[in-house]
Amino acid sequence: MSDIQQYLLDYDRNKKEATATAQRSANQLQSGQLKLLNLIGALGEYFNSEDGAIRSKTISYLAEVLAATPQKVLSLQQRNLLTDFVLSRTEDSEGLGSCAKALLALEELGKWDDGRVVAIVEALLRNTHPLRQYKQQTERYPVLRLIDTLMAKYREPLQQHHTETGDFLPRFISYFDGEKDPRNLMVVFSILRVPMTEWNIGADAQELFDAVFNYFPITFRPPPDDPYGITAQDLKDRLRDCISSTPDFAPYAFPALLDKLDSTSMNTKRDVLQAITASVQEYGPRTISLYSITLWDALKFEILNVQEEDLAEEALNGLAAIAQTLSQGPNGPLSAYLRPIIKECNEHLEDAPTKQSQASARILHKISQVSPEVNNILLAGVLPTLFLLFQNADTMAKRRGLLEVLIQLIKANVAIYGDWRLPGPAGDQVATNSLKDFRHQSLEVPLNGLESAPAKEVSFRLVCLDGLLQLSKARQLLSDEDVGRAIQVLQNIVIHEESYGKDEVKEAAVNGIVDVAHQKPQVVVDKAFPAFLAQLPDSDVDGVKSYSSVLEAFAKLASEEKIFDTVLLRLKNKFGTAVQQGASSTYLVALLSSILYALNQGEAKLSHSPETTTYYNDIALPLLQRASSSNSSHPTAFDDESTLDLVGRICGIIIRSQTADSQNAIAKELYTLFRSTPQSDQPPFNTSAAPEADRTMIISTHLLASFRKETILPGELQILLTSLAEYAQQPRLSVPVRSASLRQLSLIINKYYSASSLKTCMDPLVSHFDLFSSEKLDTQRIRVIFACLKGIVLRSSPALNTLYPTVLSLLSHAKHGSTVAHGFTTLLQPDDLLTKQNHCQISGLHKQKSFALLVPNITQSFREASPETKPNYLIALSGVLRWMPFEVVVEEVNQLVTLLLQSLDLKGIDIVKEATISTLASTLAEKPKTLEEHSGSLISRLVANATVSKDSAPPAKVRVAALKCLTLVPEKFAQETVLPYRRQVVKKLTAALDDKKREVRSAAVRCRAKWLEIDEAGDDD
Amino acid sequence: MDLDKDNANPTILNPSDLPSRRHESNAGKRDDGGSGLFDDLIPPYNYLSDPFDDPLSASDSDDDVVETIDEQEIYDLISTIADPEHPLSLGSLAVVNLPDIHILPPVSPQSSISTVVVEITPTITHCSLATVIGLGVRVRLEQALPPRFRIDVRIKKGTHSTDEAVNKQLGDKERVAAALENGTLMGVLRKMLSTCE
Repeated sequence: MSDIQQYLLDYDRNKKEATATAQRSANQLQSGQLKLLNLIGALGEYFNSEDGAIRSKTISYLAEVLAATPQKVLSLQQRNLLTDFVLSRTEDSEGLGSCAKALLALEELGKWDDGRVVAIVEALLRNTHPLRQYKQQTERYPVLRLIDTLMAKYREPLQQHHTETGDFLPRFISYFDGEKDPRNLMVVFSILRVPMTEWNIGADAQELFDAVFNYFPITFRPPPDDPYGITAQDLKDRLRDCISSTPDFAPYAFPALLDKLDSTSMNTKRDVLQAITASVQEYGPRTISLYSITLWDALKFEILNVQEEDLAEEALNGLAAIAQTLSQGPNGPLSAYLRPIIKECNEHLEDAPTKQSQASARILHKISQVSPEVNNILLAGVLPTLFLLFQNADTMAKRRGLLEVLIQLIKANVAIYGDWRLPGPAGDQVATNSLKDFRHQSLEVPLNGLESAPAKEVSFRLVCLDGLLQLSKARQLLSDEDVGRAIQVLQNIVIHEESYGKDEVKEAAVNGIVDVAHQKPQVVVDKAFPAFLAQLPDSDVDGVKSYSSVLEAFAKLASEEKIFDTVLLRLKNKFGTAVQQGASSTYLVALLSSILYALNQGEAKLSHSPETTTYYNDIALPLLQRASSSNSSHPTAFDDESTLDLVGRICGIIIRSQTADSQNAIAKELYTLFRSTPQSDQPPFNTSAAPEADRTMIISTHLLASFRKETILPGELQILLTSLAEYAQQPRLSVPVRSASLRQLSLIINKYYSASSLKTCMDPLVSHFDLFSSEKLDTQRIRVIFACLKGIVLRSSPALNTLYPTVLSLLSHAKHGSTVAHGFTTLLQPDDLLTKQNHCQISGLHKQKSFALLVPNITQSFREASPETKPNYLIALSGVLRWMPFEVVVEEVNQLVTLLLQSLDLKGIDIVKEATISTLASTLAEKPKTLEEHSGSLISRLVANATVSKDSAPPAKVRVAALKCLTLVPEKFAQETVLPYRRQVVKKLTAALDDKKREVRSAAVRCRAKWLEIDEAGDDD
Repeated sequence: MDLDKDNANPTILNPSDLPSRRHESNAGKRDDGGSGLFDDLIPPYNYLSDPFDDPLSASDSDDDVVETIDEQEIYDLISTIADPEHPLSLGSLAVVNLPDIHILPPVSPQSSISTVVVEITPTITHCSLATVIGLGVRVRLEQALPPRFRIDVRIKKGTHSTDEAVNKQLGDKERVAAALENGTLMGVLRKMLSTCE
């Protein structure tokens, strides 16, 4: 059987076999076993068959053989003959697709000359016009691919053919008429784009435009299985490229697009606006100058009457693109375009503040960012009117509206010309900035407004303030003197103004000074620093307290890196003077607070330079010495525990970024604190120290917290630990001193024990005090136990496997079980000393670990517990859950629901309820199904906790939490579940509407509204 | 599309200018004039507070202070209602204003019934939606206030061309009840109230 017979036989049965046959023929051609002449000869009788299908399959065979044939097998002459032959086959209405494939294969084998290319295209147009007569997409697609290839590779001969023959283009365009398949359309758009962009289309422009615009807007939606791999966006992009390809389209494109802009479909409008923007960018300034005003008249409506925010955004892009394109041409058209915009915006300014004046501000802001020229023209066109209107304005609201426009213009100006730190995209050509011409007025208007407007005009003054800030930002616009005036107004607000309302203006003024400091640090140091410092008394013996707001403002300035050191230095000096002058404790505490605040602001700076010891020597060391000494340098304020805590924090933040070497030197003085007495005389080693010495433990705690893990502690670990544990149990200690000593236990265990010694770290305490003995249990011991545990918990040590059960067993203790239960909330509570910054070891999964070890054990023991001790387990459980991320709880929540609901019935232990309700609320939000079967008991318990009645009065916090949780219920449960409870809930919540606390009432209103809605939603169905 | 709006270009108030409850505990009332910037320096979960000390002290001491329902609270309840025409609140359109809200104490010592009077100001005098807005305010207050308040919503005198007629409608219990049976109207009201905080 010959290859062609085999191929015809396999064609419908097994396409793969058929292709293999063609491949075999190609191999034989290559090896010379088969002569081309014989191959063609064998096809003869099938080409002449009466059956169209056979003729079509035959040409398909030829195409496959040619596609499989490597280059150089066929001579030029052979290829020419073949081309002519295949081309002649296009007269046959069968097998067009395969003809095109064969031609594509031939083209691959060797380039055609110009005449042949033209002949091929002409033959196609002659024999197969219009293409839509071929119903199969698979027939048309190869033809389109062929033409696309020719268009891509043989541009010049085809363009020349078009120039020489007048009627070629119309025939060519209409050839593609009526194509509907998205795959084919992608190719058609790409073919037609060549004449659009490269040929002189003259009179055929409209026809060519219509050929693509007929498809606008694209409404194609890919079928679910998407066999094409083409999205609507692909088609939209190609179509938009066609529309925007040549300025010759402008007379047709803009009217057609603007017509479609009136469409009610948001998608169509979106496509139109994008096409307009693309066209404007491509058509060039000469063409756009003809349409700019028409476009403005149409596009402005999308902004003045916003339908959808993104459409307004697109329209703004379009308007900016017009200005951008026109900026590339001569000045005349640009001014002509901007003139009506200026006119219209000026008109809207007259009735500011309205929606349309706000829209005008948007338009001006967007367009004036385009280029320096546009910016200058708009400023010159709008500002004179704006200032005139401002002067004649009769209401504050109007002035505010006008200033808002001014701010938008200044912001655009900054975007173009840059700020003091960086030049903008316009480069350093500030000399041409026409805002300079209005510098005086632009400064005076907000400056006066801020100074003279009454304090109750909050929003007006805020806008003035913003204006001043934007203006001081503008690159090389204001002189240092003018910036100084702006700062002076701001600092006057901070220093001298009476407090009003929420003090928004004061706050904005402080932040404003910080902003200016970012741009002009030196001016702020020169202007604001002396003014602020003058307000800070050396001593406050006369009892004035007006310094607070100034001190706050001053401390905030530390956030600007360049002036951080200066701020800190001035505060430190002020503190020194205040101590000398015998200032009150309140003032000293305020100064210390501001130093700590400033240090927090500049923390990044501290941690970048661990070698610097200036901060330590200048600030921390003197403070430490003052705190521990007993002579006149020790102010009475330092006898107060919370002051010492502040001092400790200041020292901690400075020391913690220092190198281990410097820390080692400080660590030697951890307990002696430069007192030059032996360490054994000081707590914790001396359990009967004086109260002054006891208090310094607070400072030691912060030092210990700030040390690195490598830092060498003064003394052996075990001795330190037992001393601390013993010291912390002394009954005479004040609460803060005891807490501080206990925290030292946590810190030492967390930072200084190796993983292996951690397992036995509590053994010395057990042997020394018999710590876990249930006979000797008391509150102090419980504290020590939980302090040690806290350090271990964060490290997720395996030691917990034995420690947790031991501690849990204490829950059944008749006398102290409840205290133990409350301890569990301390374990996972966030802590400000045990942190990563303080070099603590915190395992990422420690919460999961504790959950897994504690919760199953608690639920188990709860069932077996006696009725008197049952509440202890519920308290412990809620303490654990309180700080547990819900992702950890979610898996086990099924087992917990009944326990959680029971803990809502506990009386008098309200702190537990808050945590429980928050867990229930998270469960509702994430896994409502687990709660749905308990809906009745959940709802009634929440209602009971939301209202105050004769026999139960939950605190306000619990009432609010219960109401918030109850608000979630109708949202998360199925309607048929909640509907039966609606009437009852709505009725009982009436009492909460009259709660004596405002916060509760507002939560009740929200909750009740949600429950009322249930029924209404039902009405709709 | 602006043809079907009574007032397409209304004046808008800035949020900072709307009346709001001052934070008595913080700004303004601090005796030292500061803003409490340093209050957060010491974290709330600071190690010095001891959970063992008094686990039952959670009920705040200021729990007994009674905060009565005042005009500002009424304002907060209704100023967030959305205007039926614009995506803006009645507060920012100055349709409801704090000075136009009054709470009248019970007329006799035996009675516990107080009256809330709210006067609304339509954005323009011929606003056809004044009745709907009035109804919205009324429904909102009926849902949010305890039953010891009687609610009286009216159009402010001289701000509407037919204010008396509208007031009659809003004051007529039966007509209000009938209006609430109307599905379309309830749909509009629900949309207005959906923005309430």
